[in-house]
Amino acid sequence: MPRTDRRRELLKGLAFASPFLIGFAVFIAYPILASFRYSFTDFNLFQEPTAVGLDNYAHMLSDDRFWRSLGNTLYLTALGVPLTIVIALAGAHVLNLPVRGQPLFRALVYLPTIVPVVVGGYLWRWLLNAQYGFVNHLLELLRLPAPLWLESPDWSRPAIVLMSLWTVGGTTIIYLAALKEIPKDLHEAAAIDGAGAWRRFRHITWPTLSPITLFQVIVTLISFLQIFTQPYLLTQTRLNESSGGPDDSMLSYSMYLFQNAFVFLKMGYASAMAWVMFLITLVITALLLASSRRWVHYGSR
Amino acid sequence: MRIHGLGMSWGVVGTAVALTATLTGCAGSSDPEGSGGSGGKTTITFSYLWTGAEAAALEKIIKDFNASQSRIVVKGVSNPDAQKQLASMSSGSGSFDISDNFGSNVGAWAAKGILAPLDDLLKDTDTADFAPAAMAQMRHKGKTYAVPISVHTLQLVYNKKMLAEAGVEPPKTTDELAAAVAKLTKVGPGGDITRLGLGNPSLMNSLTTLGFAFGGTWDGQDPAAPAPTPSQPGNLAALKFWQDTITSKYGADKVAKFVAGWGQYMSPQDPFYAGKVAMIMDGEWQAVSIQKNAKDLEWGVTSIPVAEPALEGTTQLTASTLFIPANSRHKEEAAAFLKHLSGKDAMREFNLALGNLPARTSLLDDPAFKAIPQFSAWLDALKSPNVKSLSSAPYSAQYATDLSSAFDSVARGTATPEQAMGQVAERAKSYATN
Repeated sequence: MPRTDRRRELLKGLAFASPFLIGFAVFIAYPILASFRYSFTDFNLFQEPTAVGLDNYAHMLSDDRFWRSLGNTLYLTALGVPLTIVIALAGAHVLNLPVRGQPLFRALVYLPTIVPVVVGGYLWRWLLNAQYGFVNHLLELLRLPAPLWLESPDWSRPAIVLMSLWTVGGTTIIYLAALKEIPKDLHEAAAIDGAGAWRRFRHITWPTLSPITLFQVIVTLISFLQIFTQPYLLTQTRLNESSGGPDDSMLSYSMYLFQNAFVFLKMGYASAMAWVMFLITLVITALLLASSRRWVHYGSR
Repeated sequence: MRIHGLGMSWGVVGTAVALTATLTGCAGSSDPEGSGGSGGKTTITFSYLWTGAEAAALEKIIKDFNASQSRIVVKGVSNPDAQKQLASMSSGSGSFDISDNFGSNVGAWAAKGILAPLDDLLKDTDTADFAPAAMAQMRHKGKTYAVPISVHTLQLVYNKKMLAEAGVEPPKTTDELAAAVAKLTKVGPGGDITRLGLGNPSLMNSLTTLGFAFGGTWDGQDPAAPAPTPSQPGNLAALKFWQDTITSKYGADKVAKFVAGWGQYMSPQDPFYAGKVAMIMDGEWQAVSIQKNAKDLEWGVTSIPVAEPALEGTTQLTASTLFIPANSRHKEEAAAFLKHLSGKDAMREFNLALGNLPARTSLLDDPAFKAIPQFSAWLDALKSPNVKSLSSAPYSAQYATDLSSAFDSVARGTATPEQAMGQVAERAKSYATN
C-alpha cells in the first residue's frame, strides 16, 4: 500500500473511533488526571484550587472517620467476598442438578439481580426492621435471637452483606455456565476409578473452575471495596442528613468520600481518598494475581 | 453482589470534575435569551426546590408579579435537585437568577463566593423587620447574602387525651418534662415499650433544641464569629437529660426496637398520630399536617420546657432562604423580584399556603394566620428573646454530620455526653474555615 493511502486509512480509522476516543479523553482520562492534581490541593468546587502539597494525604492519618470507613469497608469485603463465592458456587451446583422446572429456579435465583438496587434497598429496610421485619419473624419462629439489624453497630454490617448477597444470582449464573463447560468424561472417568463426590469436586471441578473463580473474586472484591448504594440506602434518614448508621458502623469508604466531596465540599480531600482507594485496590488485586499462579489451573498449560 | 461499571470512587469525583470542566467550558457562550425576552422585558429564571402544592402556590405569586409590572418576566422552574443547584452555581453563567435553600448553608456558600451580596441591592428594604435569629443566619462576615422567606420554630406538641389520662399537666420545666415522660411511657411484659412519653421526629432537632433549653450554645456566644462549642455545659446537661430520661431508664435496645416500628413521619401512621408517642418537639408544619393526616387527634402545643426561668420561651429557629447566585447576569432584576417575594403580601400568601411561619415579625399577629388551628403557639415563639439557631458557618455541614453521629451514640448509651462531644470537638479542629 502506498504511504498516502496508509495515512488515509489511519485517519479514517481514527475518525470512526473518535466518538470513543474523545469520550474517553474528556469523560474518563481527563477527570482521572484532574482528580490526581486536585488531590494535592484544597479545592471546594467553586474557587481556584490552592496547592497544599501532601496535606490531604497527611490528614487521613489523623482522621478517625477515615479509618472507621476504611475498617468498615475491609470488614464488609472480608465477610462478603468469601460468602459470595461459596454461596454462588454451591448455588451453581444446585442449579445444575437435573430436576424438573430447573429453568424456573435459575430465573428465580437471577431475578433479584435485575431488581433496581434502590427498590431492593427499601425492601430490605423493611425485611430487616427490628419490630415488624420478616427476617426477625423467621428467626423468632426458629427460636433464634432477633438482632437489631439496622440499629446495632454489631449487626448493621452483616445486614449490608446479607443485602448484597441477595444479588448473588449474577455470580451464580457465571459459575453455572462454567460448570456446564466441564467435560463430562472427566467426571465419568473419575467415578469409574472410585472417586466420590467430594474428591471429584476437589480434583476436577475446583481446578477447572479456578480461572473463573479468580475473575469472580477480583470482580466481587472490587465491588465490595467500592460499596456505596447498599449502606447509603440502609442509613438514609428522613431529612436526607448524611449519616453513617449507628456508631458510623455503616459508613463505607465510598460514602465518606461522597460526603467529603458533595456535603462538606472538600473536593481535594475526596480526590486524595479516591487515589488511596485506587492504590489499595491495585495492591490487593496484584497480590491476588500473584497468588493465582499457585491455585489457578489453565487447561492449556 | 452487583457489579458497578466504572469505579465508584473515581466515578463520583470524576463525574463532578468532568461536569465542572464542561460547565466552565461553556461559560463563554451563554444564553442570549436572558436579556432578549418578550418585548423588551428582561426574563429572569427562578429555580426553586419546592414541588407539588408548594410549587403551585409559588407559581401563583410569580404570575401575579409578572402581571403587576412591565419590566421583568419571571420564569419559575421547580427543580428539587440540590446537587444540580450547586453545579449550576459553579459555572461562569448559571441556569437561574434567584433560588432558595436553607439558612444553615448561607455561610458556607457565601465563603465560597457563589452568593451575590445583597446589601446594596436591597438598600431600601427594611431588614430589621425580619426575625433577628433568621437574619443572623443570612450574614457572613458582616454582609447579607440571603433573605428569609419562611422560618420555622420548634414547640412541644402533646396528645391531650394521654396527658389527661395520666394526670399530667403540659410540662414547663425540664424536671416536669422528665416526670411527664416517666408517667406517659408504657412498658409491656418483657420490657417491650408500647408507648414512649417523648418521641423524636429528628434526634438532631430534638437534642440541639434541648441544648438551648439547658442554656447551651452550639456555636459560641458571638454570632459574628461562630465556632463549634459542642462540649458547652448546657449541651452536656441536655444530652445527660436524654440519657437519664429515656435511654438508661427503658434500655437502649428496647427503645431502638420500638423506634424501628414507627410509621412514616407525617403520614397517618406517624407515631405521634398513631398514639405511640405522647409528646414531640416539632415545627409549625404539624398544625397543617395533623389537620390532614390525623383529624381526630386531640392535641395541644406549649413552649419547650426549660431548665431555668431565664430561659423561658427557648425555641430553635431554622429558615428557608432566597438568594441570588453570584453568576446571575440580571442581579438588579432578580433583586426586584426578591423584594416582591419577601414583601409582606407575597410572604403572607406563600406562608399561608405552605403552613410555614412568615419571616417578617410584622406579620406575626396577622389575622390571616388564625385560620390554622393552634398556629399562634409557633408564631408567638418568634417573639421570645430566647429564639436560638445553629450558626450558618463554613463548617456547618460537617459539624451537623458529626453532631448527628455523636447524638446517636448518646441516645444509644454507647458514649457518655462528655465522650461524644469531646470527639466532636476533636474533629472540629480540622473543619473548613472558609
